[in-house]
Order: sequence, then C-alpha cells, then structure tokens
Amino acid sequence: MLLPTTVVGSWPVPEWLERLKTDHYRGRVSRTQLDDVHDTAIKAAIKDQELAGVDIVSDGELRRDNDVDYFLARVPGVVLPLSVKEFYYDYYTVTVPAPLPPVEGASLGLADDYAFTRAHTDRPIKFSFTGPFSLAQRVAEHVYPTRAELVHRLAQVLHAEAVALAARGATRLQIDEPYLAGHPQQIGDAVEAVNLVVDGVDVRWGLHVCYGNRYARPSWEGHYDFLFPAVLDARVDELVLEFGRKGDEDLPVLAHGGWDRDVGLGVIDVKDPAVESAATVANRIRRALELVPAERLVINPDCGLRNLPAANARAKLAVMVAGTARVRETLGPPTATTVDDRPTVATAS
Amino acid sequence: MLVDFRPHTRLCATRDAVDFGATLGPVVEALGAECTDLARVRVVADWLQYRANFREPVTVRPFVAAGATDADMAHDPVPKPPTVRDDDLELALDVRRCAGLDAPALRDLARRAIRGSDHVPLEGWGRMSESCIWGFNALYWQALDLWEQATGRSYEQALPGGESDARNRAGARELIAELFAAWDRLAERNALPPELYVVELGVGNGTQAKVFLDEFVAADHEHGHEYYRRLHYLMCDYSSYVLELARKTVAEHDQHVSSFVLDATSPRTALGFLKYKVFLVYISNVYDNLPTDEVAQLGGRTYGVQSRACLPRPAVDELAATTGAEPERVPALVPKLLRLGPALLAEAAPDHFGGVEDAVAFWRRTWAALRLEERYVPLAGLDLYPLTPEISGESLRPLLEAGADVRMHVSNGAVASFVDTLTLLHPFGTLVCHDLFVTDVQAYRTRFAGPGKYDGSVVNWVNGTLLAHLGRRRGFEVAYAPFAHRDGTNVVTLTAHVRD
Repeated sequence: MLLPTTVVGSWPVPEWLERLKTDHYRGRVSRTQLDDVHDTAIKAAIKDQELAGVDIVSDGELRRDNDVDYFLARVPGVVLPLSVKEFYYDYYTVTVPAPLPPVEGASLGLADDYAFTRAHTDRPIKFSFTGPFSLAQRVAEHVYPTRAELVHRLAQVLHAEAVALAARGATRLQIDEPYLAGHPQQIGDAVEAVNLVVDGVDVRWGLHVCYGNRYARPSWEGHYDFLFPAVLDARVDELVLEFGRKGDEDLPVLAHGGWDRDVGLGVIDVKDPAVESAATVANRIRRALELVPAERLVINPDCGLRNLPAANARAKLAVMVAGTARVRETLGPPTATTVDDRPTVATAS
Repeated sequence: MLVDFRPHTRLCATRDAVDFGATLGPVVEALGAECTDLARVRVVADWLQYRANFREPVTVRPFVAAGATDADMAHDPVPKPPTVRDDDLELALDVRRCAGLDAPALRDLARRAIRGSDHVPLEGWGRMSESCIWGFNALYWQALDLWEQATGRSYEQALPGGESDARNRAGARELIAELFAAWDRLAERNALPPELYVVELGVGNGTQAKVFLDEFVAADHEHGHEYYRRLHYLMCDYSSYVLELARKTVAEHDQHVSSFVLDATSPRTALGFLKYKVFLVYISNVYDNLPTDEVAQLGGRTYGVQSRACLPRPAVDELAATTGAEPERVPALVPKLLRLGPALLAEAAPDHFGGVEDAVAFWRRTWAALRLEERYVPLAGLDLYPLTPEISGESLRPLLEAGADVRMHVSNGAVASFVDTLTLLHPFGTLVCHDLFVTDVQAYRTRFAGPGKYDGSVVNWVNGTLLAHLGRRRGFEVAYAPFAHRDGTNVVTLTAHVRD
C-alpha cells in the first residue's frame, strides 16, 4: 500500500482517566482496578483509530503514566526515592545507585501490552517505546562513569524487550527519542544505543525524533540537520519526524543527508488543537513527494496525540486519512492494499 | 448557627484589637428575631482592608437551592451526600466598619439586611466576572485621562508608595543577566533564533520598559554579544492612552519597541505569531485587575458565588438630583455610561449632563456608591463550571478536595491570561509577574482578598495556588517570592519557567 497512515503512539488521556490515574498514585484506586480501566480505554482508542481509517494502529500508550516512568521504574536496579505522585503525569525522580543487574530476559512487560492490542484489532500494529538515550536523561543520579554507559545498559534492557515483542508477533516497532533534539552533540551515542536495541530483532524498525511534546509544548527548537550523518548508521527502516508544526523546510535535510530509507512524515500538528483540513494534509504530502518517493513515505501526526482533546484527535486523524486518500488517488492504481511490514535493513550486526 | 471569624489576628492585636463579641451580640439578636431556623445560618466576619469596596458593613447572602436557577434546569439532580450542611443564608460582617457602630445601629442594620436591602439593582444575578463592575474597570483604563483630570492625580500616585514596583534597576539587571545566560547557552548550540523577543503586559507609563531597555543596552555593551541588535521589546496594554504615554517614555529605543493594544486575558489574539518564541514575559500589576468569580466550599458542597451590582436607594436619589433625572431612570444611565464613555454620554444625554465634566462626575459618584449583592448557587459539577472558555473548573479540584470550608477567588481573567501567555514562551523562556497573590489556600480562611476599589478600578488578590497548579499541569515550574527590591510591600513575584 502506498502512503500507509499511522500514529506515532500516544492517544488522548481524558480528564476522567487522569483523575483515576492520579488516584492510583495516591492509593485510592488499586492496580487491578486501574488495569481494568486501561484495558477498556485501550479498546476504545483502537476502535477510534479504526473508525478514523488509520491503517496501522497503536494501543495509545494509555497504560503509561508518561513517556519515561512506565519503562524506567520497571527496570531492575532502578530506585525511586519517592513512589507517590501529586499528578500521575509527573516524572519520578529516578536513581541508579548500583550497577544494573545483568539482563535476564524481558522484565518490563511490554510484550503483554502488545499481545493485548493484538487480541483487539485485525489491523497492523505499531508498538513504540522510549529509547535508551532519552530514558537515561531522566536518571538523576547513577553509578556509571559516564551517562553513555548508562545509555548502553538501558539499551540492553530494551533489547530484551524487543526480542520478547518480536516473539509475541510484533512486526513494527518504534523507538522514541524525545530528548535527543536537546542533546544534538550526543547523536553518536544515541545511534549506537539504538543499534543495540534492534540488534537481531527482525521487525520493521522506526526511529522517532521530535522536539518534545511534554504538555503539548516543544522542549527544544532547532533543525534535523544534527541527525546527519550519524543517523545513517542506525539500523532502522524509517525515520519518523515532525513537519506539521515546523513546516517542511527540514525535508531537504533528509535528501542532502543521504537518507534513502522510509520517512514517517508528520503532517498533523499535535500541539495545536485546531484541526487541519484534508487539503492542507494533501498539500503537505505532495510537497514531501517532491523529495521522497511515495514508496518510502508513511503518513502520521508529528508526535503522540495525548495532549489533544479526544474529539480533536479523532478529527485530526480523519483529515489525515482523507488528505492521504486524495494524494493516493493521484498516484495511479494501488499496487497493494495491505501494509508492508517487511524490514528494509538488516538488523543483525 | 455557624460563626466563621476570618481575621484571626485582629482578635489578639496589640493595637486596635477587635471586640467581636460587641459586634456579634446585636447581630445574633437580630437573627434570633428575624430567622425561623438558626441552625441553617452562617455568620461570617471579614476585615475589609480596602476602605473603598463593594460591601455594606452588614450584608446577607442567601443560599439558592439546587435546581432553583435556570442554569441548573437542564441537569440531573445534583447528588447530595447526607453529610452536606444545608444553610439558608449567610450573614456577612465587615468587622472593621462594624466596630464603629453601636449595638442598636448594628441590630438595625442586621435586621434590615435580613429583611432585604433597599438597593436598586443594575443587573440580574450572574457570575461576578460578568458583572458591570468590570465595565467600570474597563472604562477607567479607557478614559483614564478624564479620570485623572477630575481627580488631579495620576493613577500611579494611587498605588501604594506612589509608584509601580516595576521600575527597579536591580530587578531589571537580574532579569537581563538571566536572559543573557540562556541566550549564551543557546548560542553555543547554534540554536539562538535571530530575533529575541521580550513582551511586557501592562506597561504603565513606560518607565519599566525604559529601565529595562537602558539596562539592557548597558549590559550588552559590557557583554559584547550584540543582543540589543536582535532585541524586540513588545509593549502591550489594554489602554491606547497608556501605550501612547509609554511610547514617548521609550522614544530613544523606538527601533526596538513595538506596541500593541490587547486584552490581557487573551494575549495570543495579538501575539499569536510569537508562540514558543518569547524569552521573557514581564507583567506587573495586571492580574489583580482582571475579572474573577468566586467559588465556595461550604458544609461539604461547592457553590458558585453569584452577584449583582446595585446602588443604595439614597445614592440613586442623589444621582437623580445631580443629573436632573427621575430616580427610576438613573439605573438606565449606567449602562449608557459604560457603553459610550463620559465624553459621548455628555453628548447623548444633554438633558442630564452639561458637559464631559458632569458626566465624569456622574461616573465617579456612581462608582463610589456601587455595591455588590451576593448569593450562593450550588455547582452541578466542577467540570460544568467554565473557569475560562478553554479550562474547566475541574482544575479547582485539588484546591477544594480537602473538603474544608473555604471561599476563594478563581481569578478567571488572570488564569486565562497566564495560561495563554505560557504558550508564547520559548522552551528557555521565563514569565515574571509582580502582583498581589494569595499563595496558600489556607489564607482564604483568614483574610479578605477583594474585591476592593482601587481609584477607579477593581482589585482582587490573585489565586496564586491555582495559577501554580495550572502552570504545573502545563509543564512549568511556578514559584512565588516576596518582591525582592522594596521592603514592606504586599507585592509578590511569580516566576514561571519550563521544567523537566
């Protein structure tokens, strides 16, 4: 299928769910009750994506309190000095006071999360998780001589998760690195860690780099030129980038940098609740097609949808799908009607 | 009957201690004579530090039953826990003024208040933020020149100390040093934008801007990075008259200064092009002057405080005499004044006003006599109460969830302005605001926080706890500190910057 549509990962968290999540962190809602709430919310999020016509769906990351703690707090050896939160979305203060124990298989439970999603949709699934570089940035204190070493150890933890996810049938995994744009000089370390995560895991890999989406705000500003040439060494099939909010002036950077693999084209501004028109989406895709062939384009929002009101998120996905359909119609008859999940780069070292 | 005495410190003050018993006794006697069920009565005592305010020494606030107002008709019944305390009325005392009255006078005031005050309403019941008192407030800023001519003094002279806290060189130097440090960090990463924006909301006479810009130039010379060349200083104010004065003050920096007339509650309407681009937003004495509602958690239930502006009957008679209007026609002159302003009102109603000066005199007399009646209406749900058009009252939950009795301002205008302004900030940006803040919910149980009359404007202490909460929910660290550059001031400095 040309121009498959997908999401980056997260789904809106309504006020009522925020209250329940926060109540859990204050001891008023049990873990079992919250899990049940999450299951129900995820099924609804999947259904919303299907109704919007999105080709590749996600679980909306609704089990996660934020983009970091869900992973970091489960890593054996990570210490939380304080495990209650005033608000569920706050970050924990996290420390690693002793070397992390050797990795003995998956410990974060991501494969179970994937399996739940798999059981509730027939559509292809994208499963994303935060990458080792960004996770390491949220560790306040650690025992390693350099942060790069901590990144390396966390990559090993995530690698085990990736192996477990693939074993449960995951075919499309995405590593999110929301902190990378704030540390452009460390792109080499980040790419090295990405390659550790994907090593030998034969799925279609995406790498998502944005300028941050915490509380619907950019955490950094700049341009994607910092990714090159280091990112060319990343053994991923697709770069998933934000262009909807920032405009497409960075698109030539990909071509000039020599990126010849797929591009996840952000066409929806997730920091602005105003819903784009299908024509705007179509124009954004057409401008990208001048630089990237249709076979290499995947259409998605700039980043996760979690900060948008649910109605706006649904409307934005609907116009994304409609705008994409307009462009597809101009590209000739479809060569396939299904999404290709085959990897395009070898992940084994 | 429940008695809530808020100004605790007045009971044991070494000077001018309040004899609350002398006030309470006659009032309770009046309640006993007039009320059938004293178990459903609250008496609340405040100390109104604003000598010009909207209250009588003794007033009554009825509790409206759920479902009794139009707004509630569409909703299902509000669930009422068995522990909720149902009151019929609240009798409110200003102990400062009551202390000056003898027992018979107090008894008489209380009796008359319970039976129904002899006020002439200027509007229907509604949210306080929508009351015409804000029309007066807006008029003050729009026709400030006429007000100043009539009073013979500038509005800055009406401020405590006779000047704004904004014009402080040490404070400006501190802010500039922080800006330079942030810009240096960005420059090192090749991420410094070509244009460096600073926004000031509420510019006064421009002195703050001049102090900032003068100090900026000096620091830039010393620093050597030529940031002044890239600087854009945007002065924003509701009053074009004030902006014009301010522009003259900063004339020597005019290549770097732009001015915008805007409503402080929605700065993005004029400054939307600066989203995520502003490095410093500077605000001084603006939030306390923006419309606000009040909510109350009383006896286990949450109420909205509704109000209506009114004039005491004797004031209406006096206004009628000075304008040559029939008393019943006086209320109709007020919306006309607010709509047209005094200059046009004089033209539109020549029978009542000999000229602009007469119209200004009518404005000032009406303002001085203006009162607010209040009542409590149960809220069907916090989420159904719009704090601003974009933010639901759900944001109030953390402040009310303890369940203890409290009545507080929700600072709707300040909330709208603050939240809207945060979206302008660059990831390395800072918002600095000097104003009157209540920074602890507990303080609402011990002190009066407005509304008061400040010259021709309305003043309320801003709910700093709510702003901090809303800032945190938007990824900002919000801190409060006493204003550092003048002793003995009530002014507090709010600082907000991105966290995480």
